[in-house]
Amino acid sequence: MKLQHNLGGLEGLDPINVETKVFVEPWEKRIFGIHTAMMALSNQLGSSPPKYAIEKVPTKFKSFWTWGHLRMGAEAMHPFEYFRLRYYEKWLGGISGFFVSEGYITQAELDTRTAEFLADSQKSAAPLPSGGSPAIDAQVTKYLREGDSPMRPLPAPPKFREGDQVRVKDVNSADHSRLPGNLKGKVAKVVRVYEGAFTYFFPTKDGIGTPMPVYSLVFKPEDLWEESLIDPNSVYYNDIFEVYLEAV
Amino acid sequence: MPSNYPGFKYGADRETFSAAKVKALESLLIEKGIITGKTVDNVLGYFETEMGPFNGAKLVARAWVDPAFKQRLIADCNAACEELDFPAGMSGAEGEHMRIVENTPDVHNVIVCTLCSCYPWPTLGLPPYWFKDPTFRARVVREPRVVLSEFGVKLDKSVQIKVWDSSAQIRWWVLPMRPPGSENMTEKQLAALLTPEAMMGVGNVTV
Repeated sequence: MKLQHNLGGLEGLDPINVETKVFVEPWEKRIFGIHTAMMALSNQLGSSPPKYAIEKVPTKFKSFWTWGHLRMGAEAMHPFEYFRLRYYEKWLGGISGFFVSEGYITQAELDTRTAEFLADSQKSAAPLPSGGSPAIDAQVTKYLREGDSPMRPLPAPPKFREGDQVRVKDVNSADHSRLPGNLKGKVAKVVRVYEGAFTYFFPTKDGIGTPMPVYSLVFKPEDLWEESLIDPNSVYYNDIFEVYLEAV
Repeated sequence: MPSNYPGFKYGADRETFSAAKVKALESLLIEKGIITGKTVDNVLGYFETEMGPFNGAKLVARAWVDPAFKQRLIADCNAACEELDFPAGMSGAEGEHMRIVENTPDVHNVIVCTLCSCYPWPTLGLPPYWFKDPTFRARVVREPRVVLSEFGVKLDKSVQIKVWDSSAQIRWWVLPMRPPGSENMTEKQLAALLTPEAMMGVGNVTV
């Protein structure tokens, strides 16, 4: 398990930096927009509940790209590198690497153009290229408005019911997980069994990616932390996929 | 023998390099027909004008003046969004399954995504820096009362804190309490009192 899978409860950290801006540098906006476009043009949307004629969209992007791909890139990093880089710096590295690995651009093209912009302030201040099919942007807007609900019919009845005590399994987080590491082995109570089943689009080695029930769990602080660290009048809720749970 | 770890070092060109690299990437993607020259600006414009915390503020203000609406908002956030005159998309990207939790004199709610940055885009827009910072994500789950005090939200020990973490597909947000002194305000005036922080559980609402 990597440190970035196990952030909850780390001690000895600094006061919160209450920076309320979404983007702390103007360039960060651009990588957010690129990622959102990739989500909207991803090939798996062809089989999503909102009907997207994704194969007819005149983009050259024909890859599978979801939050899982983006998160896996960050979670796969050297843990110290993960903490060295800001949020959108991790995105920039992961996304540009994906375009290179999928063959849309070469590393040399990207490096050469980056160097040109760094060396020539006129070039770096020039407008971006224009043009492209409006049908691409129509699909991006359609995705923003219609989304990509992960809710699916239940493949089997939920294993647990409201009020049940459950234990979080100690699964191997591998390269991408939706299970906070500090919950492994801990006991919680089911407070809600969500309607339907939820998929995760991206199959992870630790077991999510096919439709399964999701539970709202409540954890008591004394079941999560050492006695000396707890706030006795607090409770912690999390939504956990069924594959991560076992009966107590 | 010292560690081989070289420490957190940043070049003097940290931001200029990233700015050049992202511009290089975007220009190549446009030239190669992956996105258009307008794609990124269109996405950013959507979150500036259509989906943002101004939507959440309208929903909270309506809930404050209409108790029946408040119950519907808590029971089914996505269905309640359809009652107001919003642009299409309130159940769109990152809003497909939203839930809101209500603050009361006895219970205070706060949201977090310890693994990344899950956030209800249609009602709150895009998450602020602090929400994505590992320090907040690490600390709020264990010492929420201390973290809230650093945001200026001072809670008595008698107030129970509920921390809502998003590790699956539900996107949480918070219905703050209507502040004293707002009794004669219009719905529009009430909406103007709200901040993203208040609707995440880390901000006070005052008149």
